[in-house]
Amino acid sequence: MKNRIITFIFAAAALSLPALAQATQLPAPSPIEKELAARASSVDEVTLDKNTLAFASSFMNGKDKDKAETRQLIDGLEGIYVRDYEFDKEGQFDTGQIEQLRKYYESAEWSSIVRERVRKTGESTDVMVKMANGKTVGMFILDVEPKEVSIVLILGPIRLEDLSKLKNISGLDSALGGVEFKTKDKKDGQQ
Amino acid sequence: MAHDWKPDFEQLVDEHQSMVFSLALRMTGDRGLAEEIAQDVFLELDRHLDKIESAAHACFWLRRVAISRSADALRRRKVRGLDLWVEIKEHHGLQPEPRISSLGGRLEDLLATLPEPQRAALLLRYQEDLTPEEIAATLDAPVATVKSHLQRGLKLLRAKAAVHLKEYVREKEYARGV
Amino acid sequence: MDEFEQELRQAFARQPAPPSLKNRILRNRRSRAPQSHAHLWQRLAAVLVLTLLLSGGFAWHQRERQRKGEAARQQVLLALRITNHALNHMNQQLAAHGRANQK
Repeated sequence: MKNRIITFIFAAAALSLPALAQATQLPAPSPIEKELAARASSVDEVTLDKNTLAFASSFMNGKDKDKAETRQLIDGLEGIYVRDYEFDKEGQFDTGQIEQLRKYYESAEWSSIVRERVRKTGESTDVMVKMANGKTVGMFILDVEPKEVSIVLILGPIRLEDLSKLKNISGLDSALGGVEFKTKDKKDGQQ
Repeated sequence: MAHDWKPDFEQLVDEHQSMVFSLALRMTGDRGLAEEIAQDVFLELDRHLDKIESAAHACFWLRRVAISRSADALRRRKVRGLDLWVEIKEHHGLQPEPRISSLGGRLEDLLATLPEPQRAALLLRYQEDLTPEEIAATLDAPVATVKSHLQRGLKLLRAKAAVHLKEYVREKEYARGV
Repeated sequence: MDEFEQELRQAFARQPAPPSLKNRILRNRRSRAPQSHAHLWQRLAAVLVLTLLLSGGFAWHQRERQRKGEAARQQVLLALRITNHALNHMNQQLAAHGRANQK
């Protein structure tokens, strides 16, 4: 398909709730991700388990506001799994494979909360959450742009509202820094 | 490794002070801070002069240290891209000033809102005309990472320029009484 | 390079350094020279102490830990940066969708 950038954001929920016996583990890279990586001109792959997150968090002490906000965001998470693939040209990846990945996560355990499609450009965004006992225990985001595919899986208690605080952390700015989540409290955008 | 090149410190300052100052200025967005950084970079060069093997090595070393010191200063000073973004948006709401800032100045403002790694990569690309491979060597980063920073940074700049260029054109027209 | 990139090249042409910068550098360089011997002895003393510490492995371990911690922190920031990018794209799409619905 033309110009599709798929950003896959998997937010895996940290199953810290005592009632849940299910272990949370970061996924092993799927064959589809390996194919994307093979075709991409730029690849970012980040896998952070609970121990690594805790270790990184221990280096975010002190009075630095950015570090404190980052630490708040990652404290309690069980894992972060991020894959970002950028391509030189459009049409470099197989949208059928991406659809397979999307369907894999659209199981009974995952609920879709955002599903945006732009027919003209082929762009799309999917956000899915995994719930347990009324609380979010995982978040998955798949973002498709014409020349970029991103996958983010966050394991742990995470909400979109929490992620809206990303724009407060310097160095994480994106294309139009003023864009805010519709569900976000306005005061979060203020310094 | 023995080398015949004899460094002349003062000549190196003459030759490269604009480069070092410009890198520091565009990384930090602060003229006073850029001067301090430029001074520190050259004084550090003085301490390491015996390890510099050639004129090209000196240039490479100065670029690397200028970027590194600027990044350190940014972290200490907490110059946040979000602050500058707010400044740009607030300026648009004010009455236009008699002197309209140049397009180049606006692009510099927009550069300052980018994440630090992208800023560094773009500066080395468009101020210093380095290739991605040379930038990677300067920043001691993988080439793929540098290319990623360049692509993302350029994309961000285009998007922001598309928004603010309209404002710039409107301000010019307003000043001309159009 | 396209037109926008050419504009960037023009915009990012090197700016002249302040006229006073060179003098300040040379002045500071001269004022530091007399300290070089004292500084050298200080460095030698520090090297001796560090050598003693390193022989126990303590300093190396601390630096390694710091380096790994910073690397881990950078990985976290990279992950969050990508997440932020994706979510901003999502917001753009939602905003565009909202505008389309209003028409």
